Amino acid sequence: MKDDILVQTKDLQTFFYTDEGVVRAVDGVDIKISVGETLGLVGESGCGKSVTSLSIMRLIPWPPGKIVGGEIWFKGEDILKKSEEEMRRIRGSQISMIFQEPMTSLNPVFTVGYQISEAVLVHQDVTEEEAKKRAIEMLDLVGIPDPEKRYNEYPHQMSGGMRQRVMIAMALSCNPDLLISDEATTALDVTIQAQILELMKDLKRKIGMAILLITHNLSVIAEMADNVAVMYSGKIVEYSDIKTIFKSPQHPYTYGLLSSIPLVTKKRVKGEKLPIIEGVVPNPYHLPTGCYFNPRCPYSTKICREEDPKIEEVAPGHFVKCWNYLKPGMGV
Amino acid sequence: MRNYIIRRLLQMIPLILGISFLVFIILSLTGDPFAALMENPRVKIEDIRRLQHQWGFDLPVYLRYFKWLFSIFKGDWGPSLLYPGRMSYDVVMARIPVTLQVMGISFLVALIVAIPIGIYSAVHQYSFADYLVTSLSFFGMSMPTFWFGLMLMILFSLVIQINGMPLLPPGGIMTPGILSEPFWVRFVDRLKYLVMPVIVLAFNSMGPWSRYMRSSMLEVVRQDYIRTARAKGLSERVVIYKHALRNALIPIVTLVALSIPGIVSGAAITEFVFNIPGMGQLTLNAITKNDFPTAMVCLLLIGFLTIFFNLVADIVYAIVDPRIRYA
Amino acid sequence: MARDITTEEAREELISPEEFSYWKMVWKRLRKHKLAMVGMYMLIVIIIICLIGPLIYRVDPNYQIEGPYELLSPGAVDPNGVRHPLGTDDFARDVLARLLYGGRVSLLIGFSASISAALVGAVIGLISGYYGKTIDNILMRITDIFLCLPTIPLLIALASVIGKGILQLIFVIVVFGWMTDARLVRGVILSLKEQEFTEAARAIGVPPSRIMFKHLLPNTLAYIIIGTTLGIGSSIIYEASISFLGFGVQAPTASWGNMLQGAQNYIWRAPFLVFYPGILIFITVLAFNFFGDGLRDALDPRLKL
Repeated sequence: MKDDILVQTKDLQTFFYTDEGVVRAVDGVDIKISVGETLGLVGESGCGKSVTSLSIMRLIPWPPGKIVGGEIWFKGEDILKKSEEEMRRIRGSQISMIFQEPMTSLNPVFTVGYQISEAVLVHQDVTEEEAKKRAIEMLDLVGIPDPEKRYNEYPHQMSGGMRQRVMIAMALSCNPDLLISDEATTALDVTIQAQILELMKDLKRKIGMAILLITHNLSVIAEMADNVAVMYSGKIVEYSDIKTIFKSPQHPYTYGLLSSIPLVTKKRVKGEKLPIIEGVVPNPYHLPTGCYFNPRCPYSTKICREEDPKIEEVAPGHFVKCWNYLKPGMGV
Repeated sequence: MRNYIIRRLLQMIPLILGISFLVFIILSLTGDPFAALMENPRVKIEDIRRLQHQWGFDLPVYLRYFKWLFSIFKGDWGPSLLYPGRMSYDVVMARIPVTLQVMGISFLVALIVAIPIGIYSAVHQYSFADYLVTSLSFFGMSMPTFWFGLMLMILFSLVIQINGMPLLPPGGIMTPGILSEPFWVRFVDRLKYLVMPVIVLAFNSMGPWSRYMRSSMLEVVRQDYIRTARAKGLSERVVIYKHALRNALIPIVTLVALSIPGIVSGAAITEFVFNIPGMGQLTLNAITKNDFPTAMVCLLLIGFLTIFFNLVADIVYAIVDPRIRYA
Repeated sequence: MARDITTEEAREELISPEEFSYWKMVWKRLRKHKLAMVGMYMLIVIIIICLIGPLIYRVDPNYQIEGPYELLSPGAVDPNGVRHPLGTDDFARDVLARLLYGGRVSLLIGFSASISAALVGAVIGLISGYYGKTIDNILMRITDIFLCLPTIPLLIALASVIGKGILQLIFVIVVFGWMTDARLVRGVILSLKEQEFTEAARAIGVPPSRIMFKHLLPNTLAYIIIGTTLGIGSSIIYEASISFLGFGVQAPTASWGNMLQGAQNYIWRAPFLVFYPGILIFITVLAFNFFGDGLRDALDPRLKL
């Protein structure tokens, strides 16, 4: 059962057509998530992680965005070929998504409870009372005290942490197979963040769902993910299980990301500066030739500037897209 | 909530006093209205002097204001000068039903048209229909109402004629002799006279309203909670007409409530052009012909309506937006 | 379309990004707005015609042809051999000439009134926003009172009283038009006040008037410009309304508004007299509205005016 693949993208390409040019937000991305697995998708702002998740949900707004190529397989079917009506039935019931801003992600004119019931009513053939009961159950499940009373409250009457819990309740109300969490904890206080992550781990155990965890925060990944995919400028540059990524990253970008985390336990030499990755993310309208990362890469060589690297499996289950990937053992 | 209303009602009082003072000052600049009566042989000098004293025209302006205020409290708004023998208050009140008809119908027509086309325009942004609607809205906002009225008159009364008779009557409010006819005939007759003024007034309001509806919808549709609604698997129809619209209508409700006094005062010129015996036309006549008491009644009525609908707008907004209702 | 660049170029871009001036960006955004561009071209045409027109079409707008030559139809020729492309009015004056000179008057009034109202409003908003508390309270109450006044009737009342003429007309329009800008500027000032640069200026002892005029006011410039542009349209309509009722610009000086006043009585005999001034008012106001709308979007797309 563990090898059952739930979601798989093959050479997914999503482009945005703007006045200034075409942005290749997702440019040939292959990821896979098995049943019950937590996949972490890491990268800086603008690298295409959100667009990947929105592509899986087929929520890319046209204009200006469009899925232009590739396949997305969900439960054995290519969902890119499905009609909008069929997709609608999947959204919210089989694949659910929670977003970054809990303060603005809930409709201010409807009660919190109603918004959860609505999700149930749309996907399941139940009465209003049964939906309400389910909503109250979910509120309780996500740890909101006094759920019957809270059902009738409006979003503005709740704190950010509570609203995010409501979002989770809404997303899980139909027992989805996959939960996509797009920076769901980034806007929250650290303590609340920890609570929400605990909640997600707990619910995952109870329901057995898979999670696509999108974040730029490596410590969240460390805590939650089974496997990790690192994205840069619309492409996956490294993929492996969590231990390997942290112990022996092979791509210079991953290595750079991990080295820049200030660890309390790491021995410090006086006067030593925190390592950073020089430069900034490339302008999507002016991408470099060859490997997109090469202008910032301390190990770049001639071939890096000319040809886009191929993906290589450097160890079983460990994939790197680099000409000069680092030798094993050069970990953090 | 109740405290809020009470507080606002109390705040209205200094506002009305302020308006009345300002209006009084402005009108007083037109000089002594009773002086003109001296020319009229039918009016006795003693009566003129009495009226002048009664209205304080032998006093400086600010004292005169208080004298006027005092008589208002007694319920005495003074005699009308345009219509000798009648009290100004009664003259104004008699004219209200006509203005109400013109205004009320225009208001409804504008609302029924502006809201749907604003929504359609937003949902189909950048389409041909969107540009058409946007352009038409701008037309509505930019057209001088009196000119539009005159042009409509030319079109429907001069250019389009059936058997030598104008299609629509160019002004007035009823055909002479119609009062003896049964209700149905009178009703249709009245409609014929109202068509053009209503088109003018409605078109004028439709412009800004449809634009605001469009921009409100556009703004709401970009919000995060709409993305959440779609991610939940709701159909696009439900997302737009339930989740988005409900939010987009909130500022519109306020806007419409605030526009109402504007329609009343703006109707003045339209009534003038179409020779409709309503309150607006009376206001203009009273001002231009120095019927001071009547003018005061009219202007204060409009001022009061403005403040009142300001309050109504705020209350409705509080009811409709849960963020304010359950602060 | 995205083009691939060499690594050297990419490196360079990282170090020295393209410089963006505020006004260049505004212009760029404005250009994209189709309606605004249409409005702008319309305005350029109208303004040029009104400015240069009278120099090319040298006919006296006030000259009354002797004899019964009133209300000649457009295109008619009078006994002096002069062709009147748009006919003559009820005083046997050439309509086209009156339109051209009238355009100058109406545009002048519209522009002056609007910018004066914007400036008055801005100053009041500035003082109100900066000093806050009591002064703000009083000024805002006054603003509220003015906002609740029925505009058109009072415009007429005031106009009928302070005498007829262009300056008086401008004054009247300003009296009833300063409020929107005042509120707008006050809002901007209130939010700017909270920002650190005001605190810093105060801390090093800059006097309030200097803070207001040198630091805060330039930030409100965008809003003042928008207010002025959109206000020109309504000022022109106010001028037209007041003149239409007989209180604004007085004959023999022509303005689009008072031409309509004269035309009223002749709508059955000479409808063209109603059509021409009105259509010009309409097109001009429309152009200002198109342009002002695009300008607002370009200066601050987030603005919810």
